Amino acid sequence: MPALVEVQNLCKRYTSDAPYAVEDISFDIHAGELFSLLGPNGAGKTTAISMISTLLSPTAGAVRVDGYDVQRDPMAVRRVIGVVPQELALYDDLTAQENLRFWGEMRGLHGAELQREIAEKLALIELTDRAKDRVGTFSGGMKRRLNLAVGLLGRPKLLMLDEPTVAIDPQSRRYILDWVKKLREQGVTILYTTHYMEEAQELSDRIGIIDHGKLIALGTFEELIQLVGQHETLRLQLLQEGGGAELAAALQSLEGIIQVSATDGEVLVNVTSAEATLATVIGTATGLGLSVRTIDIREPNLEAVFLHLTGRALRD
Amino acid sequence: MRKLLTLSLKEVLLAFRDVGALVTMLATPLALTLVMMAAFGSGSNSTPISDIPVLLLNRDEGTFGQALTDIFSAPSVGDLVTATLVEDEAAARARVEADEVAALVIIPADFSARVFPFGARAQELIGLDVTTLNPDAVLTPQQQAGFAQAFLESQSPTEPVVVEIYASPNWRISALVVKAIVSQGLERLNIQIAGMTNIVTRLAAGMLPAGQSDVDVAAAMGTLRTGSTGQEAAGGADADLPIELVTTSATGRGFSWLGYYASSMAVLFLMFAVTSGGRTLLAERQRGTLPRLLISPTPALTILLGKMGGIVLTGVLQMLILWGATTLIGAYWGHPAGVLLTIVLLVICASGVGALISAWARTPGQAGAIGSAVTLIGGALSGSFFVRWNLPQWVQYLSLVTPNAWGIEILSRLQAGRAPSAILPWLGGMILLTIIYYGLALLGFRRQFK
Repeated sequence: MPALVEVQNLCKRYTSDAPYAVEDISFDIHAGELFSLLGPNGAGKTTAISMISTLLSPTAGAVRVDGYDVQRDPMAVRRVIGVVPQELALYDDLTAQENLRFWGEMRGLHGAELQREIAEKLALIELTDRAKDRVGTFSGGMKRRLNLAVGLLGRPKLLMLDEPTVAIDPQSRRYILDWVKKLREQGVTILYTTHYMEEAQELSDRIGIIDHGKLIALGTFEELIQLVGQHETLRLQLLQEGGGAELAAALQSLEGIIQVSATDGEVLVNVTSAEATLATVIGTATGLGLSVRTIDIREPNLEAVFLHLTGRALRD
Repeated sequence: MRKLLTLSLKEVLLAFRDVGALVTMLATPLALTLVMMAAFGSGSNSTPISDIPVLLLNRDEGTFGQALTDIFSAPSVGDLVTATLVEDEAAARARVEADEVAALVIIPADFSARVFPFGARAQELIGLDVTTLNPDAVLTPQQQAGFAQAFLESQSPTEPVVVEIYASPNWRISALVVKAIVSQGLERLNIQIAGMTNIVTRLAAGMLPAGQSDVDVAAAMGTLRTGSTGQEAAGGADADLPIELVTTSATGRGFSWLGYYASSMAVLFLMFAVTSGGRTLLAERQRGTLPRLLISPTPALTILLGKMGGIVLTGVLQMLILWGATTLIGAYWGHPAGVLLTIVLLVICASGVGALISAWARTPGQAGAIGSAVTLIGGALSGSFFVRWNLPQWVQYLSLVTPNAWGIEILSRLQAGRAPSAILPWLGGMILLTIIYYGLALLGFRRQFK
């Protein structure tokens, strides 16, 4: 499969004395693929997507989209990409239809083609009956859907979605995830950024894990899981909110425990066998005077991969 | 071009759908104009009544012209006027037309000869200085005979001499003060000439040959005083001088509170609108619509020009609506072509301030605060709150760094009845200011977009 996006040794620092926001990352995205950049807030996902979409100039490295270099031929790149930004980049005082018309014209659409696209996108996001209502009157979920539809105007070869499910209700989130899946099935190439590992796991063909500006792992879900090995993760929720760090410190040196991470009242424990270590973990907590409210045993997942690679939980 | 138009129309649509913006752009200036109209009426005047600048053009070589100009430096006039003697009539009239001075007083070349015609003849015949007439002068019989003959011949009527006051309509009160001073000067001349007439008449009466009646002498005396017909001079020594004081206006219209405040409030709130429009560029960056625009296949310059084009279109529509609405309540803005041209260029100039602020401010809040401060200070300096020409001269000069000042200056001239061609130099100045604003703004935008 040919690479639609080629990212080579991409770097970005905002000022000469600032740390790298993106440091030497390289990856390809193949045509028709859904590629996710997974990482915590501030990891460099938006900076990376901004360079790929020509909004920011790289400090070093190169990006080619559909054969066009983002720095030498940004206008050609812009013609083949569609971007759904994290913000709701819409005009509240324009109607849904007017927003689509405006953004469509900015993409160079006009006449019957534009009319057809507007009608098609309104139907796609199920807002045909609200087409003439001002966007300011829409719910957050409706605005998100419209934000997505704008990104799809002009049938871009590459659709970039930057954290499209941030701050929305579960129903709208489900709607968007299903919609992204549909697009993927239609053969649209998608670059998706998120800090929700479940989304990356559910949607992606391949995932790049990014942390502190560096791409620390890259592969399919199965390939990434192999990095952790056949480990399981115990997730303990404590009654005492401040007890996580104390328990994590106590568990570090115990046999069968690979890695521990704590946030407030929650502790993630990477273990070789949940069955063999569960009693020890609970005993240690009890010995410290801590009460365990719930325990989950999780199969190897991206959370465990991130914990394994960084020593921190993804949400840190 | 299509994208430019789309971007501009989007700005206009957003501005006119924003209730807050409509209140600022249209409702507030209209309301304030109505308040001003209620407070001051629609046609009253306010011009300085001290140090009124006046030009004096004295073409008369005689003593009476000089006497008339001297009245402007008399202690009784005090600091009411600041008079300057000039020689070039065309240049002086131009200064009145440019509102640099309140009025020009023109004393014609034959003023002395015509207000007291026999004075010159008497001087010629008997070497008598009319300003120092001595009734006891000793004359030879030949001089007496010639003097008496000339006295009788001088009774032919003459046309009144015209003293012109060329006044600026924007200095209407000041021009009335100037007229009062000239009238006062003429009254003094009247008294002086009356005295001289009495003396000359007595002299002539003593020199007349036998047979001339007292009636003839009285008639001759009246003619001497007025240079007019004997019938008009029936009042004897109390008759008026043969002078016609004519006040002409530099233009057809005078100052009107309503016209002044309608346009100055419109200019003030245009500044609010354009600085607010400039702020929307920063708001779009914060909201994410500007980055989205920048990654669309649209050049950054088109986006910027579209944005500014929208702000200009909105501003022009705002001014046109205010022009129309205030005209309906009786405000006169001037020659339509001149007003239209001024509005378009003024809005472009004002949008330069909006661009400048948004190019250098970091956040919409910062731009809003700077925009409000610039608008209010600029409005106060330029004459949006007080009549511009009542402000100190240095403030009037300083305010020329603001579009408000240029707008108010030009629109005031148009309201005073000037032709559009007369405001072209001022429009040129405003265009220069626009280039400076946009030049500085472009530097800021280059920094931002980089």
